[in-house]
Amino acid sequence: MRRILKLHSIFIKQDLKKIMEYKVDFLLGAVGFVLTQAVQILCLGFIFAAIPALCYTVNGEVLDSWTFEEVLFIYGFSLIPKGIDHLLYDNLWGLGYWIVDKGDFDKYLTRPLSPWIYILCEKFCVDAFGDLIVGIALIVYSLCTMPADTLMAINPWRIIPILIVIPFAVSIFTSIKTGTAAISFWTKRSGHITHMCYMTNEFAKYPAKIYNGFVKTLITYILPFALTAYYPAIYLLRGEELWSIPVTVLVAAVFFVISQIVWRRGLRAYESAGS
Amino acid sequence: MENKEIMIEVHDLRKDFKKTIKEPGLKGSFKALFKPKHEIISAVDGISFQVPKGEIIGFIGPNGAGKSTVIKMLTGILTPTSGECRIGGKIPTQNRKEYVKEIGVVFGQRTQLWWDLALRETYMVLKEIYEIPDEDYEKRMKFLNEVLELDDFITSPVRTLSLGQRMRADIAASLLHNPKVLFLDEPTIGLDVVVKDSIRKAIQKINQENGTTVILTTHDLEDIELLCERIVMIDKGKKVFDGPLSELKMRFGQMRELHFELKDADSFEILKYSEDFSFGEEDLTVDKNGSEVNVRFNSDTVSVEQMLSYTLSKVHVKDINVKDADIEEIIRRLYLGGGNLIEETSQTV
Repeated sequence: MRRILKLHSIFIKQDLKKIMEYKVDFLLGAVGFVLTQAVQILCLGFIFAAIPALCYTVNGEVLDSWTFEEVLFIYGFSLIPKGIDHLLYDNLWGLGYWIVDKGDFDKYLTRPLSPWIYILCEKFCVDAFGDLIVGIALIVYSLCTMPADTLMAINPWRIIPILIVIPFAVSIFTSIKTGTAAISFWTKRSGHITHMCYMTNEFAKYPAKIYNGFVKTLITYILPFALTAYYPAIYLLRGEELWSIPVTVLVAAVFFVISQIVWRRGLRAYESAGS
Repeated sequence: MENKEIMIEVHDLRKDFKKTIKEPGLKGSFKALFKPKHEIISAVDGISFQVPKGEIIGFIGPNGAGKSTVIKMLTGILTPTSGECRIGGKIPTQNRKEYVKEIGVVFGQRTQLWWDLALRETYMVLKEIYEIPDEDYEKRMKFLNEVLELDDFITSPVRTLSLGQRMRADIAASLLHNPKVLFLDEPTIGLDVVVKDSIRKAIQKINQENGTTVILTTHDLEDIELLCERIVMIDKGKKVFDGPLSELKMRFGQMRELHFELKDADSFEILKYSEDFSFGEEDLTVDKNGSEVNVRFNSDTVSVEQMLSYTLSKVHVKDINVKDADIEEIIRRLYLGGGNLIEETSQTV
């Protein structure tokens, strides 16, 4: 374990050095990300300029509603687990897109490390600072602009379950990436499948209740991104949906096991590439 | 065989690949998508051999013969379809982490180093990965430095290295942890003569000083001539020759090459080797390039002496020499012939 942390730190240092070397590339990447997020947030702003709050209604009866600040908070929170996974474990994207296809996976198999751990700790994706900075900024901004009574209603002790649940939320992302990237061991390329799964994450940035049964089930249990975003965020804000905390831990464990099984089978099916 | 400790044991190793047959064009692609037809290709088709500890063994064979696939199974990258291989008593795909500590692997075609790391840092990373104690690491680095002359470029990032430097760096990386077996897949591909030479010397030195068993694949026959005590030839996934180089030479050694330069290029017309001697079809080839003539012939049919005196009596030459059995020629004949030599050889597995 210490060995892995040490390795990871060597690669992290190296990738940080690379920012200095490829400044323009890094800056362009960061600007691109911030712009994408800014457009989405502006859209939210425009919508909320026209409506007082986002409401969940059944037969015209308002059952729940979220203010602009709350929606911003959920949006910002959703970027945190996603950003951490992006920062630490981005190399799995490469696996699905080209590492297996080009036969470059060979080198991960000839070292006395678990190939999965090796590939995870080999890259430190500095682009992810974009997600994290925007996420934290949104959380701070939304808290600062919230009406005083909403803010005062937040119980600071709720932060403890949240801190516990964040690593599990990160692991849900990593497991989904691992499982879908491992499909490439059979199909050579599977980056598009990972990408497709990640698209549903867009739903999870907003209150899960507003969706119909299908989408809600999809983002809660099948590709459980809502467990990494809406549920913990609303628990933190209002103390609601406490059930989601243990469920997230459980779901993360299940996803981890499934992804590892797929991964192991994939290793046996790996065919390398001609040289 | 001598009473040497067996390092590598391969028994009836097979690897099948499933290939989708695709008809040409977009239509074919669609067809393959909805109604895929598969075909099983045996890349390695029942290969068995043993390698004693400390031997340098060369794998040769035409492109696509299955050499790399064998190496990849031996190194644990590919899982065999059936059959077994044991290296130092271990099965590569089982307990991979323990197994790979005992081997070093170099693929000439692609580096295993980290593109952006300086070479020195690369070795530091490997030191961590293999958990090499400081003392051993220092000693090892010193030795490798001596043998492979890494000092000139040890501070450069891998991506800035020339091919020759990169290959030396890769070989050093594969040897840091003092492996029992070294696998080299085309270690001299694309290198110039000087670098090739230094790499060959390094391989020899490592083999002698540490008793490292070396398996290498190559298309460069000089590698084989200078390094390998034994060669295994693979063609279409099957072993077609297994034995010492000397045996191959002895069996095919009758081929000689007569090379000479004519004083008068036109006098070539007088030389009628095929009419005046009774060579078989494969026993004689004559190439003429300006005034230079190259005659490859079977010295069992016509002796070197006869050929020489015939040639000298017919034409005036500026210069003449006879070359010994050339391994390149032997291999060429083997590749073209495609025959299976296993039944004929006395070597048993």
